[in-house]
Amino acid sequence: MSSMTQEEIEALMNSTALVDEAQQEEPQVEESMDDILSQIDGVIDDGDSVQEEPSLEVNEQESSDIDAILAGIDGIEDNDTQEEPEESFENQDIDSILASIDGVVDDGSTTQMEEVAQEVTKETSATSSNNSDDYQKDLDSKIEQGIYPMPVEQEHKVVNQLSQVAEDSEAKASQIFDVLSFILDENDIIGRNLTTSSDFITSQIVLLERLAQKFPNIEIFEEQLLKAQEAKTSLEGVESIIGDENGKLFEAMELMQFHDINRQKIERVMSVIRKLSNYLNGLFEDDGKPEVQIAKHISGDSNETVTADDLDSLIAQYSQEH
Amino acid sequence: MKILIVDDSSTMRRIIGNVVQQLGVPKDDFDEAEDGVVAWKLLQEKKYDVILTDWNMPNMNGLELVKKIRSEGSAHKTTPTVMITTEGGKSEVITALKAGVNNYIVKPFNAQTLKEKLDPFFKN
Repeated sequence: MSSMTQEEIEALMNSTALVDEAQQEEPQVEESMDDILSQIDGVIDDGDSVQEEPSLEVNEQESSDIDAILAGIDGIEDNDTQEEPEESFENQDIDSILASIDGVVDDGSTTQMEEVAQEVTKETSATSSNNSDDYQKDLDSKIEQGIYPMPVEQEHKVVNQLSQVAEDSEAKASQIFDVLSFILDENDIIGRNLTTSSDFITSQIVLLERLAQKFPNIEIFEEQLLKAQEAKTSLEGVESIIGDENGKLFEAMELMQFHDINRQKIERVMSVIRKLSNYLNGLFEDDGKPEVQIAKHISGDSNETVTADDLDSLIAQYSQEH
Repeated sequence: MKILIVDDSSTMRRIIGNVVQQLGVPKDDFDEAEDGVVAWKLLQEKKYDVILTDWNMPNMNGLELVKKIRSEGSAHKTTPTVMITTEGGKSEVITALKAGVNNYIVKPFNAQTLKEKLDPFFKN
């Protein structure tokens, strides 16, 4: 009841043979498989796999015949042991191939593979970095040559830059003025001290003159009078120098008017640029109309546009394909 | 002698102030304003003997200030006013004089020029 009949076995074998023969003909294989499945279904419907074992034992009688049949079909031999050396050879072959690739040896550890992976990662990142640097250099070069415009950043906005220059210049001019004023103030203090000293020396000279007149025999009065007069002359010289220095400081202050004049010249340039910017904005404004798609290649642009002959041949070519 | 110096450049205000000091005006006797608006405010608060003003300034320029002083500045309608400016065109000078400016100095100037222009007002 549960065992396969001989006919079923033969049908199964036939179908197996058919499968072998039909390795190059897929549709036939599918039909044979259907048959086999239908037959196997019948077998399985009869019971468990335990019930199948006797049928296999029964079939052992036919196994030599089946082997002979199989051996006859396309030279297939049922010899599992022959596959072992082949498989072994393949593994050795793969090992030797791996060993020959960059000295990689399958020694069970992954350290060498990791090292290689790290090197590859480093090289990749270095290449990426180099590419980025090259791109930046190329970009800078093109901006330098005027091929690309400078990016619209704060430092490239002309009016802002000019305004900044004017403001910085004003601040520095004020600082320079502070320095000049400081020197002028210090000179003023020196001048006042000199006046005090000069007044004292003058009074000393008057005193020594009187003493020298009253006591002409005492030489020290005459000597001190001469020294006092020399000191007064020296102080007058210093006063004169300070006066000249102050004159130069005032001159420097006057020259600083050019800062104001230059600032106004810069403001005039800024005004021209602003007006020009407004004019160009007005000239190029599009009244808010949506942007249309533009043609990439228009006849006459370059040699990339197709000629009439090219067009005909392309049409003909694609007509044939479709 | 009270003097009002009006200029948007702090450097210029200091330069003019220096010259004024050289003429014997103490530092406390002159005030500074950076534009016509500030100057007009000061003119409402104090009485000045001389006004020295620049032309090109933000908010209210020197010409507008002079016109305003001559038309509205009751206390300063006749106060001597000197325009100190980079505007050196003849038409500008005429415009300023017509507006009521008493004297006109083109930048850059030297201290001597300013002294000469201010002397008549100092003597009065």
